Amino acid sequence: MAKASSLSDGTALRDEVVPRRVRQFGSARDGLREWRLQRLTAIGLIPLSIYFAASILSLATSDRKTAADWLSSPVPALLVILVVLAGITHALIGVRSVILDYVHTRARLLAAELLFRAVAVILAGAGVLAVLKLFLGR
Amino acid sequence: MERPLSPFMFPTWYRFQITSALSILHRLTGIALAVGSILLVWWLITVAAGGELFTTTHAFLISPIGLVLLFGWSVAFFYHLCNGVRHLAWDAGYGFEIRSAARSGYAVLAMTVLLTAMTWLCVFLI
Repeated sequence: MAKASSLSDGTALRDEVVPRRVRQFGSARDGLREWRLQRLTAIGLIPLSIYFAASILSLATSDRKTAADWLSSPVPALLVILVVLAGITHALIGVRSVILDYVHTRARLLAAELLFRAVAVILAGAGVLAVLKLFLGR
Repeated sequence: MERPLSPFMFPTWYRFQITSALSILHRLTGIALAVGSILLVWWLITVAAGGELFTTTHAFLISPIGLVLLFGWSVAFFYHLCNGVRHLAWDAGYGFEIRSAARSGYAVLAMTVLLTAMTWLCVFLI
């Protein structure tokens, strides 16, 4: 804890002291965890989203059967589920940070928070369910 | 005098800078992609459901409006991807100098144009 009290100008990768939570005047108690999850999903989404975009591209002109066959094979099914989960998690954190910047009334903030969380959960659930249906029903 | 608040500072009170312009673009493309994720999940649902649902959606996606939307999302996707990598480099502590931040910004724009062009060439040539 020797260096912990001074604010370091380095960042986590170079630092010897890795911050575990927001200290001192940090306003959000769990801000660091969310910050990390945003970066973690970002890193995961680099290969995942490129894979998904490339696959969609080759499916662009194809019919439903080709798309369904692709989604019902194990590796694409798993990767698409991961794209959906990581993508929507990343999107929710991003949208939340925008809301926090522009919505200032407490009631509106709560309403927006509930709305966007609900949309995210429904989208993630529906996406996973659609892929699972194709995968299990092949 | 009423002081302007954050989102309205940009056009009139701040000088144009590549770094701040790209920063706001990162947010805008992020929001666009979040909206696009609804279509993405919808497409998965229609593939699983099949029938008329898929046919209608497919027809919409290859209609002029659908193609414009898809083109917009592809631009947003590649921009957010490239600029996201730039952000991750900053998070790791690299490229903070003003010159390199501006240079990486232009590189992001160039990569976005290149990747988008390559993508749509593939769509129309293959």
